[in-house]
Amino acid sequence: MVYVDGTEQSVTAAQYAICLASFYSADLTALYVINTRAMEDLLRARIFLKDEQVEYEHDMESDAERYLNYVSELAAQKGVSLTARSSRGNVHKEIVNAIKEDDIDLLVIGELSRIRSRRDEFYDEAERAMRAAPCSVLIVKDEDKVWEMFESLG
Amino acid sequence: MALIELVQEQIIKTPLESQDKPDLLRELVQILKDTGQIDDFDAVLQAIQAREDQQSTGLQDGIAIPHGKTAAVSCLKLAIGIAPDGVDFDSLDGQPAKLFFLLVAPPDQPGPHVEALSEIARLAQSKAFCKALAAADSAQEVVELLKGE
Repeated sequence: MVYVDGTEQSVTAAQYAICLASFYSADLTALYVINTRAMEDLLRARIFLKDEQVEYEHDMESDAERYLNYVSELAAQKGVSLTARSSRGNVHKEIVNAIKEDDIDLLVIGELSRIRSRRDEFYDEAERAMRAAPCSVLIVKDEDKVWEMFESLG
Repeated sequence: MALIELVQEQIIKTPLESQDKPDLLRELVQILKDTGQIDDFDAVLQAIQAREDQQSTGLQDGIAIPHGKTAAVSCLKLAIGIAPDGVDFDSLDGQPAKLFFLLVAPPDQPGPHVEALSEIARLAQSKAFCKALAAADSAQEVVELLKGE
């Protein structure tokens, strides 16, 4: 399963996941989580207005559809069957839930931030998912190399 | 992109010079302009102002988080400003705002935008930390505080 969040890093991860699925004839799922938990927190903190929460949620739904369609097209280009899935809630928990529900063997995620703060308030949802995942996790790096690999795939 | 990746000395200004809210918003957007992160100053300011017109982003305990969406930026942009004496920002608690996190993102990147706002919201829950940030003497000190060094 590849986690897609609209970042370039997650698209690179999807390309690598497609290559792996092709090499190993594996089933591939792409997951986008609409971070409703964060939006509820922002509303509660009065950083978001109610209209804003609705607007951003709609934006994320559109983002989910756009990126899941995009990675589906990438997979189709290489003859790989991909199941696109979106869910709503707390990002890292939804990723873990999806891993358990679909009996996922490998979680593929994009490169994490190279800068780390020691402050607990700064955390990356993908990194949290990496730590919480009950399966192996592959972090994809080197966008250029992955692109070459993807392009060379028959 | 994680919020911490955006934190660098160039996007931090302390002390801010503005004495009122309109000038202060301009000064924060100017940080992005001066550091070459935006080309269209007016479009970014308009996006920020549009959100402020709905309700002030001044919260409590001296923190304000002006934010908005605009196609004038290609990715998430952050500016941090500190006004040690406080500026009337029409904050929800009626108190002057001292610590400003300005965040602007393109409309088609809601995920990183929401995540960055969440990180700032979590930071804002620590009164002691925000007090330390507001008392920082330099951009370098702000960076060190945020990176937990």
